Amino acid sequence: MSIQVQNVVKRFGSFSALHDVSLEIPEGKLVALLGPSGSGKTTLLRVIAGLEAHDGGTVLFDGRNAAYRHPRDRRVGFVFQHYALFQHSTVFENIAFGLRVRPRAQRPSENEIQRRVQEMLDLVQLGGLADRYPTQLSGGQRQRVALARALAIEPRILLLDEPFGALDAKVREELRRWLRRLHEQMEITTVLVTHDQEEALEVADQVVIMNRGRIEQVGTPEEVYDSPVNPFVYNFLGAVNIFRGRLADGKLQVGGLELDAPEHSGRAEEPAFGCVRPHDLVVSRDGHGMPVLVKNIHVIGPWVRLELRRPDTGEPLEAELPKESYRDLGVSVDEMVFVTPRKFRVFLEGQTG
Amino acid sequence: MGARPKRILPGFGLSLGFTLLYLSLLVLIPLSGLVLKTMTLSWDQFLDTVTAPRVLAAYRLSFLAAAAAATINAVFGLLVAWVLVRYPFPGRALVDGLVDLPFALPTAVGGLALTAVYAGNGWMGRFLEAHGLKVVFTPLGIIAALTFIGLPFVVRTVQPVLQELSSEVEEAAATLGATRWQTLIRITLPGVAPAVLTGFALAFARALGEYGSVIFIAGNMPMQTEITPLLIMSKLEQFDYAGATAIAVVMLAASFLLLLTINLIQWRSQRHQTTP
Repeated sequence: MSIQVQNVVKRFGSFSALHDVSLEIPEGKLVALLGPSGSGKTTLLRVIAGLEAHDGGTVLFDGRNAAYRHPRDRRVGFVFQHYALFQHSTVFENIAFGLRVRPRAQRPSENEIQRRVQEMLDLVQLGGLADRYPTQLSGGQRQRVALARALAIEPRILLLDEPFGALDAKVREELRRWLRRLHEQMEITTVLVTHDQEEALEVADQVVIMNRGRIEQVGTPEEVYDSPVNPFVYNFLGAVNIFRGRLADGKLQVGGLELDAPEHSGRAEEPAFGCVRPHDLVVSRDGHGMPVLVKNIHVIGPWVRLELRRPDTGEPLEAELPKESYRDLGVSVDEMVFVTPRKFRVFLEGQTG
Repeated sequence: MGARPKRILPGFGLSLGFTLLYLSLLVLIPLSGLVLKTMTLSWDQFLDTVTAPRVLAAYRLSFLAAAAAATINAVFGLLVAWVLVRYPFPGRALVDGLVDLPFALPTAVGGLALTAVYAGNGWMGRFLEAHGLKVVFTPLGIIAALTFIGLPFVVRTVQPVLQELSSEVEEAAATLGATRWQTLIRITLPGVAPAVLTGFALAFARALGEYGSVIFIAGNMPMQTEITPLLIMSKLEQFDYAGATAIAVVMLAASFLLLLTINLIQWRSQRHQTTP
């Protein structure tokens, strides 16, 4: 089922959690809502689920207004960060809950419930744990029970609120790959809330970047990483170097460098800055580019990170290069090198989030 | 004799020793004095004393009234705890403080106040008696007094548990298709049931031993509104010490059995919730 969010506004007292948010979630896709805490991503998810009433705008499921439908009638599977399992019930009863509370006419028979729960347990690979209580499971197992419980009602949409946020790094990585495979199997429209860029970029078909109650950018993981539309997205999706200078005739002048910015041509001269990812900074000793001083060298596995400083402004920069290139370069601390951006984007000063 | 497993937490011997000594001084020694005094009676005398119709009526009244009061408290105490935890409203701190008043108030004062209010010429009594409902000097009055003194037990045991029970669990139930009613019956109540049971046991135990507030409102008519603690007092006033302790010992044994049963149920239901 597809979801359309149109001009949704949500306020908590005087605090505006969502400003006029519009978003299209296509059928069968896995979409990640990514943003720092307080960006409104969880609020948006809860509005879609009907757990939070919005103050303006509409939410459409398959083109039909869902605003006045109670969460129980939306057939939405919701998975909470802290699992929200029923502590007094076994794993089996947790998963069976959604089937048992159906009105008598729609309630499956006991045999059917048994079969369905077993199917769900196999799906989340917890076959032998039906009689355990939630407290007897590990965090990763609990979250899989929560997922099985949500899937047992055959939801039309699956909503996950930071589902792996409370788990340790290794389990988190395992579970998100598993979630991706599961999504490919079931093809159910899924919305995942996360503050972990790696998770969003790895799992999602589409990433929605949110900040302070607004959507900053929507795109495939590659699009948002490679062509961020503004400095916030640049910053949020990884490290970034800022080159401040003046823009004239579609070119940004920064300390001896000239960066082409054709999208800004035809404007009067004004202050602007270029954003460059550390791995897009080419380091050389041949005298081309901006002279910088090497302040520190970190070897991190196959990568080398150079901490640099501009001698003219004292601003710090960061470059990342593969170990082989580093060996060929043969630099050491306090030496002068030259950097040129391989890829960059220019933004006007004052154009922030 | 195998080697004893080594404990990680030190001081087990010392702290257990102290606990036993403390409990002995406070509880076991006075209670065994009770049993010893009772043993000055012959078995037949003992049986005669504790099966006298007046004594049996008092037992019946004490246990039934205490059970009724504890049940009322379990239901309405849960409701009070629910309101205090779930809904922020102006004056909540004040209401929260009111709950503890029955603890602080001398019980005799509570009994007098209840009697004044429910007496035939009192505020509430006037209205109730017009409808043929007599409270003062009836078992109903006893239940009212016992409910009054037992209220804080249920509220105070349920409140923290309800606070812990996250609203997410209820939201999860709603997204799975449960109605408000189904969520309450299947999720919320089972979650707080152990705490309600504890509160019930405490309120029940307290009500069994209550004396001060009941004697004013009960009227203390033998066979009708005479509770066991009062019967014990009247035996003492007649210098029938052994008779008084005999009644007390039976009361004690019965209460202990009841509380033990409640604790066992409690322990069984909570076993899987406390394992890490």
